[in-house]
Amino acid sequence: MAMPESLYYFIQQLLNGLTVGSTYALIAIGYTMVYGIIGMINFAHGEIYMIGSYIAFIVIAALAMFGIESVPLLIFAAFVISMVVTSAYGYSIERVAYRPLRGGNRLIPLISAIGMSIFLQNLVRIAQGSRDIAMPSLITGGIDIGPQDAFHASLSYMQMIIFAVTLVSMVLLTLFISRSRMGRACRACAEDLKMTNLLGINTNGIIALTFVIGAALAAIAGVLLGMYYGVINPYIGFMAGLKAFTAAVLGGIGSIPGAVLGGLLLGVTEAITAGYFSTEYKDVVAFGLLILILLFRPSGILGRPEVEKV
Amino acid sequence: MKMAHKKALSQIIAAATLVGASSYSLAADTIKIALAGPVTGPVAQYGDMQFIGAKMAIEQINMAGGVNGSQLEGVVFDDACDPKQAVAVANRIVNDGISFVVGHLCSSSTQPASDIYEDEGILMITAASTSPEITDRGYNLVFRTIGLDSLQGPTAGKYIVEQIKPNKVAVIHDKQQYGEGIATAVRDVLTEAGIDVPLFEGITAGDKDFSALIAKLRQADVDFVYYGGYHPELGLILRQASEQGLDVRFMGPEGVGNTDISAIAGEASEGLLVTLPKAFDEDPRNADLVQAFKAKNEDPSGPFVFPAYAAVQVIADGIKLADSTDTEAVAAALRSNNFDTPTGTLAFDEKGDLKDFNFVVYEWHSDASKTALTE
Repeated sequence: MAMPESLYYFIQQLLNGLTVGSTYALIAIGYTMVYGIIGMINFAHGEIYMIGSYIAFIVIAALAMFGIESVPLLIFAAFVISMVVTSAYGYSIERVAYRPLRGGNRLIPLISAIGMSIFLQNLVRIAQGSRDIAMPSLITGGIDIGPQDAFHASLSYMQMIIFAVTLVSMVLLTLFISRSRMGRACRACAEDLKMTNLLGINTNGIIALTFVIGAALAAIAGVLLGMYYGVINPYIGFMAGLKAFTAAVLGGIGSIPGAVLGGLLLGVTEAITAGYFSTEYKDVVAFGLLILILLFRPSGILGRPEVEKV
Repeated sequence: MKMAHKKALSQIIAAATLVGASSYSLAADTIKIALAGPVTGPVAQYGDMQFIGAKMAIEQINMAGGVNGSQLEGVVFDDACDPKQAVAVANRIVNDGISFVVGHLCSSSTQPASDIYEDEGILMITAASTSPEITDRGYNLVFRTIGLDSLQGPTAGKYIVEQIKPNKVAVIHDKQQYGEGIATAVRDVLTEAGIDVPLFEGITAGDKDFSALIAKLRQADVDFVYYGGYHPELGLILRQASEQGLDVRFMGPEGVGNTDISAIAGEASEGLLVTLPKAFDEDPRNADLVQAFKAKNEDPSGPFVFPAYAAVQVIADGIKLADSTDTEAVAAALRSNNFDTPTGTLAFDEKGDLKDFNFVVYEWHSDASKTALTE
């Protein structure tokens, strides 16, 4: 029995939404982990994603110039170098912009974060120029789902890579948080920072670690989306950061599974809205959904209600 | 990183000193012309086209003795194609006491800025903004040396109806004044000719993911797509369309016709149709001018280079004819005379538009070259 065209159309939009949603989720984890531990929104996080994209482009262009043409090697190098460099950025940002302000009013690091975001955006703009940089597709092709002669869903290899890399990153992160000693320290910090400190855990180190993990995941998203779209500019961090922040709030800020769920939900909502209503309204519906969920569940889908810390 | 930073810093300081120096040394007896447009931002390419054209005109007019004994001086202002910044730029131009503006580039910037210029008695000529609304408000001091969307849309629409003869056309735009205006004009021509337009939809400028839109285009089974907007979005749409197996021909206005679309879309930009002003750089009468651009290592082929040159020249000639820098007198001179410029003999109507301007349909190639399909 042939499946109706509308079903394939739905599958196609679902796949499109999950692809974008996966990368929202990767970026959202950075927001949610930092919030979970120090209760602060790191608004410079979107710029980290943008820097991750730039580093991937630079690495790929540089290696290609030296005559290295093996695509898997190029991509692997892009991932590794981009993650290392952005981790350094994440660590330095925390060290320079947030740690000296910790302990004061919560709004002060927030302003510092916005300043950091503007600084990073302009740094890249001066160093790399403000124009779009384009890169040819490294991975082309894909598979078709459904009949060849009528409308069929198509899933590109690049989309598959996005799913796979996101999934692997999530599994590794979950294992790290739930099984390792440092992961346990992270959870302890999220529960009660002061108490954890009293018990002899280096909380400053753990906070720095969350920034590094967040930055590395944002770099993964940056490399993936950079290769998927093939075009970057210094302004991409703003919208991506906003969307990922929305995803984190939607899922319940502070909760890692919540960030993943929020990201996927946001991506799928956007794709379905664009697919069945109008592309014009996809952002409206996405942010409308956020308002709706916050009205009925102020702490997000998987978030725990805020416990007043004494 | 540190090195790059240092270098950038020294460049800024050098640039600042240069700007300071030039404005002091030339302060006496010059006529300043503000060149307003995007120096930064996603459509800065078009700003460059406008700036190199205007600067060349200023240089050549100065070499030939200037205007009524005064030298011209171009001052660049960056509006980043952002309406808010455009208003800030306009206010700065007012504060700096500059009476003539060549700019802005994006219609959505020109529109709010021109309100200020008209109020403050500043004469503005845009070499790139094609939205009809800009000259539709009965302003006295607002002119343009480029055609209108209301001309460009029908040119594109007529070509689609007569040459492509598609069954179903999707019309997409970027919800901005320029893109939506031109897309609406094209849609109207198509529906009047009885062509089915099942999809007329806006996207968000700056968006990167168009997979949902492309799936929709595939499902609607259209065989032609018109896009009203600029190249960053169309480039991504073309690229993602080819990756997702949407095999239809696209067409766009002059906002998509620059070399960057080939950089972004690669092979997918082959066969794209673009309406552009006539290629003034291919006109044999302009051979000397083209040589002058090439000698400075500048590209004269952009669609706004020659209109910007013409805009400066028209201001200079207008000042000569009026024998004054009073903008009202110059505006009157512009309306009552013909000007012989590299873009042809220009005459302005009451609204400040050119009486005659032609758009040409080009086929774009993936190596960023183009071939003319119409006269």
